[in-house]
Amino acid sequence: MAETKTDNLKAQIFQRLHPRIYLERFIAENVRPDEREFDDWRDLSVIVGSVSTADGSALVRLGKTTIVCGVKAEIAEPELDRPEEGFLVPNLDLPALCSPKFKPGPPSEEAQVLSDRLNDALIASDVLPLSSLCIQPGKSVWVLYVDATCINYDGNAFDAALIAMVAALKNATIPKATFKEDTGRTLCSRTRTPLSLARLPSAYSFGIFNSTHILADPTSFEEPLLDTTLSVVLDEDGELVSASQVGVAGEDALPTCIARAKQRHQTLGGGKIYLS
Amino acid sequence: MAPRADGRSVSEMRSLTGIFERLDRVDGSASFGFGETKALASVSGPIEVRLAVEQPSKATFEVTLRPLSGIPGTESKSLSASLRSVLAPSLILTRNPRTLVQLVFQSLTPSHSTHSPFYPSLVASFINASTLALLSVGSVPMSGVVCAVAVARIRSSDLNTSQPAPTLTLVLDPTEDESLASEGGGCFAFIFASDPADAGTGVVAKLVWTDWKAAKGTFDEGELSRATQLAKVGAERVREKMKDSVRSLDGSSDTSTTLKAEDNQKEAMEVEEDVDDAKMEI
Repeated sequence: MAETKTDNLKAQIFQRLHPRIYLERFIAENVRPDEREFDDWRDLSVIVGSVSTADGSALVRLGKTTIVCGVKAEIAEPELDRPEEGFLVPNLDLPALCSPKFKPGPPSEEAQVLSDRLNDALIASDVLPLSSLCIQPGKSVWVLYVDATCINYDGNAFDAALIAMVAALKNATIPKATFKEDTGRTLCSRTRTPLSLARLPSAYSFGIFNSTHILADPTSFEEPLLDTTLSVVLDEDGELVSASQVGVAGEDALPTCIARAKQRHQTLGGGKIYLS
Repeated sequence: MAPRADGRSVSEMRSLTGIFERLDRVDGSASFGFGETKALASVSGPIEVRLAVEQPSKATFEVTLRPLSGIPGTESKSLSASLRSVLAPSLILTRNPRTLVQLVFQSLTPSHSTHSPFYPSLVASFINASTLALLSVGSVPMSGVVCAVAVARIRSSDLNTSQPAPTLTLVLDPTEDESLASEGGGCFAFIFASDPADAGTGVVAKLVWTDWKAAKGTFDEGELSRATQLAKVGAERVREKMKDSVRSLDGSSDTSTTLKAEDNQKEAMEVEEDVDDAKMEI
């Protein structure tokens, strides 16, 4: 018993001091430090509607990575050059409590980068048509704040956050609103309607280690050691919405990742992760 | 071939410009443009590094993006982080540990849209300008050159109304207006380097960055690979232009910079093996 404890400690010290070699030894045995195969994913669970004060919410667990997302609807004036479009404002917070990697203070670079990628995934690919958030053209529109917070950071926050945001948007309801021309005010009734989402994307991320091994769903230990990261976003029917690659990789890397992402999408039951 | 708004064919690029600027206070600078879409990049390095970001085994590589107007927002931060990962594979940072290599971009073209100020062609010109600037510095060893070009998906009914069924066409080097009207697209960056494992093959292009996406509808693997092939042809042309620029610098009064840049590239190819050794030592 005591011996296994010291062995464990030794392995932990080795992992801290030589993370790359630690991972290389595992990879050489065709297994990853958390006992997964290269193309194995961590368990995913989605719970919606757990935050009662928000208009819509979701809690997503991807392995140990945990992200809570709440949608809050407010009324605002539209921009002058886009009088019929509302606003969708996604944001991901990586507070110091979720991992020792992050320090308290203004949003870290990683949080800003992730927020921008999420913004891209939600807005540029037209998940929620902004025109559906219009109450009265030029006068009053909905602003949806989609705020996600990471509670426990164990890598691949992009996949988890995108699923959390889409699930929260799908769970969200907004009051029926009418704009009164004579008083210039917007009135909300008690009846609430769900948002009309055009598609339900989900993300699948991969990393390439030592330019040969494609690791699916990297953990926070693996992430800094990867030379290349690839993300594939699929819609509810398993069709491609976006594919990105950052870092050097051979020509077959991206197609391989797309095939694996589709396979994983099938295993999860297509768009069924959002049906709960 | 359906002509585009400016009369180009789908695989035709705008005229390329690559100029080595002579900004006095930095080590190297260059501007690159696809037609009107121009960007400026400057490089300083290796210079003294702030203690907080010093790395014991390699140089710190910092990339800052300055929009033409206003202060850098989340998009600039995110883009500069991406561009950092795109350019880092072309640099051999382990040669100058405990130093800083600083790269600053500046857009030279005003954007029509406040919502997405960094359209794909502008991003591509950022990457190309910084590659030229890094070549002109010559003090940071490089293992290859990164060339980028943008591709957009456009409904061909926008281009040619005589076609009954609107099909998606991939166009090379879209202008900002084309990007705004497109149904998605993205930027592709390739690293041109000789393969250290296979010295006989000469220079090969490897994909180092893409952010292909469909703004409407979906796409399939075939479309992605066609876009990649189209971009590869474009990147090849960008590389030719860069070679010309380096040569034109050679002909001018200041020859030292070019020679340095070329020497460094040669040196870079040689030292690649050393880098692997350094890793093994741990």
